[in-house]
Amino acid sequence: MSFREKSAWVALITYGVVFGGYFFTLWQAWDDAHGQGLSIGLMFGAVVALVVVAAVLNVTIALFSPKEANASADERETLIDLKAERISSYALSVGVVCLIGALLIGWNAHLVANLLLASLVIAELVKAAAQIAYFRAGV
Amino acid sequence: MPIENEIRRLRFENGEMTQQTLAEKVGVTRQTIIAIEQNKYAPSLEAAFKIANAFGLPLESVFRWKES
Repeated sequence: MSFREKSAWVALITYGVVFGGYFFTLWQAWDDAHGQGLSIGLMFGAVVALVVVAAVLNVTIALFSPKEANASADERETLIDLKAERISSYALSVGVVCLIGALLIGWNAHLVANLLLASLVIAELVKAAAQIAYFRAGV
Repeated sequence: MPIENEIRRLRFENGEMTQQTLAEKVGVTRQTIIAIEQNKYAPSLEAAFKIANAFGLPLESVFRWKES
């Protein structure tokens, strides 16, 4: 498995676990009167956790293959990245359309902010999953 | 993939050249050489020429178009 495929797995797992946990916690607390206040602190914590966990895991995999980690992407890896980015942009576009709808029907700022965050997270998950699929099945 | 290649055979005939050695000569990762060998990736024209050069052969001796 190449360094960049491992890196895609790291992104998939990190985003999935950290933001899966974030949205699950938020979902459970939402009906609570403090639920919406919780989202700001929780959102900040999730972003910090994402950065820390992703950095630690990426440094760890780089230690096992330092040569690959320092090398720039070759033509196949660049193509995979571009194709995955394009698929992820569709997911993000759907999220933006949903966001416009949410604003039009008068959702509050907390809901809209979380919908925006969910769109970004889903786009990143789709990108990582697409990269892995292209690395595995061919491009 | 409509492009087939003889890279595996040519590596064997060239002193069992490793995928890593070929990758370094071409300037791609070993995984990309593996993907090309397994017909999971069609290389760019530049990479295809570099692969052919690594074996000292013309392009058509390494790659061929597979009619569907």
